[in-house]
Amino acid sequence: MKAGEGRPGKGFSTELFPVFLMAAILVPVYFVLPSRMMAAEILIMAIPTLAFILLLGYTGLLNFGTGSLFAVGAYTAGILLARHNVHILLAIIAGVAMSGIISVIMGYFCIKRGGLIFALLTLAFNQLIWFIIWQWKSFTGGPDGIWGIKREILELGIFSINLKPTFNFYIFVLILFLLLFLFVRRLIESPFGKVLMGMRESELRATAIGYNPETYKWIAFIIGGLICGLGGTLFALHQEYVGEHLATWHTSGEFAIMALLGGTFVLPGALIGSGVFIFLADFLNKFTVLSKAGAWLLVLGVIFIVVVMFLRGGIYGGAEKVYQLLKKK
Amino acid sequence: MVNIDAILAQVFNGIQFGVLMALLATGLSLIFGMLGIINFAHGSLYLLGAYLVWSCVQVLPIPGNFWLGLVITLPLMAIVGLMIERFLLHRMYGQPVVYQILITFGLLLVIQQGVALIYGTVPLPLGMPPSFEGEINLGLFRYPVYRLFTMILGLAIILGVWFFIERSALGAIIRASAEDPETARTLGINTRKVYTWTFALGSALAGLGGGLHAPMIGGLQHTIGTEILLICFIVLVIGGMGSIRGALLGGILLGVVRGLAGVFWAPASDFVMFAAMGIILMLRPQGLLGRGVAR
Repeated sequence: MKAGEGRPGKGFSTELFPVFLMAAILVPVYFVLPSRMMAAEILIMAIPTLAFILLLGYTGLLNFGTGSLFAVGAYTAGILLARHNVHILLAIIAGVAMSGIISVIMGYFCIKRGGLIFALLTLAFNQLIWFIIWQWKSFTGGPDGIWGIKREILELGIFSINLKPTFNFYIFVLILFLLLFLFVRRLIESPFGKVLMGMRESELRATAIGYNPETYKWIAFIIGGLICGLGGTLFALHQEYVGEHLATWHTSGEFAIMALLGGTFVLPGALIGSGVFIFLADFLNKFTVLSKAGAWLLVLGVIFIVVVMFLRGGIYGGAEKVYQLLKKK
Repeated sequence: MVNIDAILAQVFNGIQFGVLMALLATGLSLIFGMLGIINFAHGSLYLLGAYLVWSCVQVLPIPGNFWLGLVITLPLMAIVGLMIERFLLHRMYGQPVVYQILITFGLLLVIQQGVALIYGTVPLPLGMPPSFEGEINLGLFRYPVYRLFTMILGLAIILGVWFFIERSALGAIIRASAEDPETARTLGINTRKVYTWTFALGSALAGLGGGLHAPMIGGLQHTIGTEILLICFIVLVIGGMGSIRGALLGGILLGVVRGLAGVFWAPASDFVMFAAMGIILMLRPQGLLGRGVAR
């Protein structure tokens, strides 16, 4: 960890230990969850949630465009894998790059206006992208989506891993997730991250010091877009199918719910939120009454309102508060 | 070549749809101007209004039940709005606006899925109110009476609200509370009460819009609220946030552009909405008649 050198207390143990701890906890989680698909899904959905947290919690931007960027990544990877049979890694890179390109354009228009208008604009762009996916039947399959995405053997020179078994795929996703987690954590601790947080607190002050908020917001937005794209490509591999519903703003809303549930101001909040959301959704869906009309969303909506009103820091923040209380006693 | 009558009819349809959207956007705009939040649940209030009228027509098989439903919807939706503001948003004042928006987003889910749970997900058709079923000859083309009626009623209501806000004494209190809450408070105005009632008024307008629109939708479904919500947002961005005249202008403009685009290529009607919004934002970010950015 070269970059950590020279900073007191930031050696190997504090940098990497939490990540190894996370890995040590997350590997056995696979065997505990009710379905074998669920573990990978939790990790994958935590990725765009991480992007949402980076933008809302650290930059103060409410982004409702995460769903469409997620879908762009998923469609790019899906089309490349299903029709052109490219290497899995190449498909992932292409998906991330495509989301990046789209978010460069989207960000350019959206960051011009802060606050509420930003939220509205990202929402409108989200629907625009959904609309294109929905209409462009010859390319995206329209309402049918993309079928026939194959999750097969991933060859990396001398080393190869078969991604077909769910456990292998889970480990593959876990490695990527942890790398991403490290990257985002390093990012928010970097001077760049400090500027973002400074802008969140007072944009006027950041401007006065000499930072250009638009540029910083734009870069943050693009990084968020790249992260969403990565999540999307992995989701395409996970489901071996991509549907247009991914691009609707309901998906963006789900990421927002996950982020708020887990904790908007801390990165692990993404994982906690997506875990609780997906587990709860699965659990609630098992009651026939609730699954009938999608009423599990109603329950989640109520939980969401309660969290926003009384537990601003989400589950992570709540746990922290309880911990502090216990420590005082 | 497209028939000129068809184009005229589409323009008319566009105005009619635009007025309805403007009615909803007026409520949204009022709430934005007052509370400084974007109400994501506005579409759900519209949804509730539509289902309330539908229920009234089903439960009361008497003549005029549709109109009775519309009349009942107004106070009922005002009460719903009152409760939302009192129990949820009221506790959030002074906290980051983002969380107030997120609360309304949560409400959207709760109301929409609640409706789905009670009424099911199958589309529920609601016929035109009797004696409003026919068409009327407007010289160049024949036009459905009910659509013409909603157009006129919608315009009248929007003008009424505009008059109330801009010209009446109570309206002055509302505007004062929106523009400078602190001074308003020192002058003895209970701004919190004003917030509550403004939200109630906006909700009632949304419910009325839903009830009026209901017979024109093929079948009521729990998802109609979110579709309308997006259109309302676009109307607001085009017309200018917090301006009633802007909502009206934006609504009609969007309706006409949307209708005309639909004549040439049906899917384009959705696309032009976003394009129109993009163009307005590039050229005039505060919207056509916007007063600039509220707090």
